[in-house]
Amino acid sequence: MFRLAAKSVRHNPKRLILTAFAVALGVGLIAATHIFTDSLDRGFTRLFGEIYDGVDVIVEPITDGGEVGDPTSGDSVAKNLDDDAVRIAQDAAGVDLAMGATEALGALIGTDGETLSGGSGFGPPTLFFNWTGVEDFDSATLLDGRAPEADDELVVDVDTAEQHGLAVGDQVVVGGAEGTYPSTVVGIATWGDSNNTQGATLVWTSLDRVRELGGGDGWTVIHVRVDDGADAEAVAAAIDTALPEGARALTGAAKAEEQAESLGEALKAVDIFTLAFAFVALFVGAYIIANTFRIIVTQRTREFGLMRAVGVKGQQVRTMVLGEALLIGIVASVTGILMGYALAGGIIWLLKALGPGESFAAPIIPLDAIIWGFAVGILVTLASALLPAIHASRISPMEAMREAAVQNRRGLTMRNIVGGALALTGAGLTTVGLYAGLDRPYVYVGAGAVLLVLGVTLLAAQLLVPLAFGMRDLLTRIWRVDGKLAANNIHREPRRSANTAAALMIGVMLLALTATVTQTVKAVANDAIGGQFTADLMVVSTTVPGSPDQSVVDELASVAGVETVTRSASLDARVDGVKIPVTVLDTATAEEAIAYETEPSFSEIDGGVFVSPSAIEAGAEVGDTVTLVGEEGEISLEVTGTYPNSGDGDYFVDFAQAEQLGSPIDVWQYSIVAESGADLDQVRADLEDLVATEYPLLTVQSPDDMLELANQLIDLMLAVITALLSGALVIAVLGVANTLLLSVTERTREIGLLRAVGSRRRSVRRMIRIESVVMSLFGAILGIVLGVALGVALIRALEEFGFDTVAIPWGMLAIYTVLAIVAGIVAAWWPARRAAKMDVLEAIAFDG
Amino acid sequence: MTTTVTLAASMRGGTKDYGHGDAAVRALDGIDVDIATAEFTAIMGPSGSGKSTLLHTLAGLDRLTAGQSWIGETEISALSEDKITQVRRDKIGFVFQAFNLIPSLSAKENITLPLDISGRDIDPAWFDEIIGILGLGDRLTHLPAELSGGQQQRVAVARALVARPELIFADEPSGNLDSRSGAELLGFMRRAVKEFGQTIAMVTHDPTAASYSDRVLFLADGRIVDEMREPTADAVLDRMKQMGH
Repeated sequence: MFRLAAKSVRHNPKRLILTAFAVALGVGLIAATHIFTDSLDRGFTRLFGEIYDGVDVIVEPITDGGEVGDPTSGDSVAKNLDDDAVRIAQDAAGVDLAMGATEALGALIGTDGETLSGGSGFGPPTLFFNWTGVEDFDSATLLDGRAPEADDELVVDVDTAEQHGLAVGDQVVVGGAEGTYPSTVVGIATWGDSNNTQGATLVWTSLDRVRELGGGDGWTVIHVRVDDGADAEAVAAAIDTALPEGARALTGAAKAEEQAESLGEALKAVDIFTLAFAFVALFVGAYIIANTFRIIVTQRTREFGLMRAVGVKGQQVRTMVLGEALLIGIVASVTGILMGYALAGGIIWLLKALGPGESFAAPIIPLDAIIWGFAVGILVTLASALLPAIHASRISPMEAMREAAVQNRRGLTMRNIVGGALALTGAGLTTVGLYAGLDRPYVYVGAGAVLLVLGVTLLAAQLLVPLAFGMRDLLTRIWRVDGKLAANNIHREPRRSANTAAALMIGVMLLALTATVTQTVKAVANDAIGGQFTADLMVVSTTVPGSPDQSVVDELASVAGVETVTRSASLDARVDGVKIPVTVLDTATAEEAIAYETEPSFSEIDGGVFVSPSAIEAGAEVGDTVTLVGEEGEISLEVTGTYPNSGDGDYFVDFAQAEQLGSPIDVWQYSIVAESGADLDQVRADLEDLVATEYPLLTVQSPDDMLELANQLIDLMLAVITALLSGALVIAVLGVANTLLLSVTERTREIGLLRAVGSRRRSVRRMIRIESVVMSLFGAILGIVLGVALGVALIRALEEFGFDTVAIPWGMLAIYTVLAIVAGIVAAWWPARRAAKMDVLEAIAFDG
Repeated sequence: MTTTVTLAASMRGGTKDYGHGDAAVRALDGIDVDIATAEFTAIMGPSGSGKSTLLHTLAGLDRLTAGQSWIGETEISALSEDKITQVRRDKIGFVFQAFNLIPSLSAKENITLPLDISGRDIDPAWFDEIIGILGLGDRLTHLPAELSGGQQQRVAVARALVARPELIFADEPSGNLDSRSGAELLGFMRRAVKEFGQTIAMVTHDPTAASYSDRVLFLADGRIVDEMREPTADAVLDRMKQMGH
């Protein structure tokens, strides 16, 4: 049977090309993701090995959660190691040298006041290290100049020097959260062998300066070099045992491995995220495969009937069809993996050419890409071909005797019942989620949405096709016979048309859903920033949070025209042992800058605490007493009010209360209200001058700036998701093309007849094109309707997070509609060409 | 070309080869044909005599390898594909042996198809007259699948007639019908020639079918070997037997 299948594939490869390509595309996405992250993984593993190459043993603090503290992350920072730890390490047997190191985030500013790196804004950080003079520990080799010997001397990494044209002897300014420090560049160094800093700026300076910049007392890490011949692992174990709680020792190699592993975890998340989109693409692809096989089985009804008549068992027919599917799956998987390799290789090459790709290792095809590619490619193809194969196995030998391949007139009843049941259950779940007032309504809405979509794809045959057919008169009026025949063709095989449209529908549905949600996020952000922010300007910290030092407030307030400065900050505390985010405000003045919709107003907090819906869900109630536990103290506060939505922190207290906890308070925003009548531009300019010279890590923004930034981020997210969904959309368009192609083959006679009685090639092409555009358009419109509806439902379900308005992205929807028309035209290109090129004589030749 | 009778179609030196080199088959071998207007011409010949090729090349469905052919005054052997299509659309009607109808169009829509394609208006009186003669009045809204074989061929004839083409080409129109339906259909075609002056050229291998025509052309090996006026089925059968059919 397999040989028959192979013959059949070879005999008529054209009808399977697009199908195989659809599978290959999905497999390609999966393979590309794996190849890409594998290359990045190996690149970074190599890099980490390089970094820790010269360090035999590392001693580092651990946070109470057991996690290794990372000063560049915003998570709770582990306490620094003290000098005792250095002494313990130095005294351990087999240790040659142990030295503490510390680091801090800051900014590098030109003498003209222009920030070179770090400071406000986004992008890679600027890291300050203390220069130890031990090359292995500094991971730095001087290329030019000398090591820093005073607080106002520093060494910068070679790429930064090149980028900003810095040379030995140049003057720069170092900016920290607390102030600025004029310094001189005394050296240029390379970090590791290749200065592969991922775009970060590295600066080495004196220990005191790094501590001033925020490194604090003690050490963030202790580097240890072992005696010649000593076993690093044994030394690490010895130091580890000797260390007090809150610190640990491990070898440099182990640390490199650990870093690589944690990066591997992060990459796995990237994998899963992109794989989700690859699966959407394959899901869409499955519709096309099923459709292709169904059409092929119908076209070969007589052939199968003949086989049955000469004694082939139904089971064997099924095996044969599945054998064909298997063959396609294998070919498509191989093609897909190679396509994925080309795609990933291309992206890596592009990234390397553009700059940020230096961390990628040369791409290879990892085993998991091959396994996943084959498993998914073959399984999807086989699963999609299963129903058509079963159908083929049930073809009666009588079919061989029939005059012509009789159109399969199986009713749509079963399909409608299943589709209807799914859609109803889905709609029901969504409604329950929206209106029953259950916990976590978005779970119900999400599950309901999936069922609803599946149901609608099945119902599309009942829903879409009559709708499209209803356009017959209109199409006839516009395009005469071409329009009429196009409408008839859609109607003739409702199942086929519906599956084709459904594939496109799913893609467009996800696009419309994403667009609706992002548009709403935009609108909510607009409301929040534009409506709630009564502040005129904001001074925000985007790199290192400020300390709650009152002097910043005083200086900002001293700028002419500033009436009120009010701080927003956050800290972590524990309630009943659970770590929760606490928002800290100047409650007396908070409402002047931001229209919080609390009940009552923040000014009536009365030394108590306000709670958000998520805290209320966790059991807090107005009138209760809540105990917040900080690092060095705890306070019991009465709940005196409520905050309207979740997501901005669970508890809200004033600075007076927060300071009693002894935990670090991160001030990230100073909201500024100008005096009425003050010249805002002047106030802003004055504030900017002040910030540039005194607090280079702070930046002045207006609510409009923030809005623009938020909008840019949201647009970026939409763009990324759209790009990831494009794989599914391309497959859907291929599906339309494939269906048309097969249906053109099926209609050879009919098209020949049309040509014989006087239809021009142009006219035949137009007929196919209309059919394609109508199918695409209806698929897209149904997708848009579903996507927007589900988007709105999802937003309603997320109301507690502050999504109180719904915004419909009309502009994007219009674009999607136009794109659907374009997609229809593109999809029709090849089938229309084939139909128009058809030989009239061959088409009308009677072979009965 | 000076002629006394008006010609609906003609061919001079029509040659048609299929394939190349050793595999080449000459289907038409320098053939000269005239199809007179308002006449029912039958083209007969054994299988492989080139009768279908003659019909296809005369009708502009296929191109001659050498020679010229005309529809009315238009030399179609010199026209582009698009122009030939236009000639077919405006001047020629077709009736094939089978699969004459678009399955998704009703009988009426099939009949008016050529008019719809060219965007011409239907002449309702003419339409009604054809429908009346062919007895299709109560079948107009049916789809082809709901019609009998005879009815389907009558719809095809109606379609060929409705645009008042200069010439109708028929390729074994009764070939798939039982003898009664076939006789009925051929009777209608003859009436169209006699009553409306319609020109019809028909390819057939059935002597009975040929007997409905005014003139029979006998083809063998790509040449016209004989011609018979006012044929009877027996006379045609005898002639065919002589040709070794």
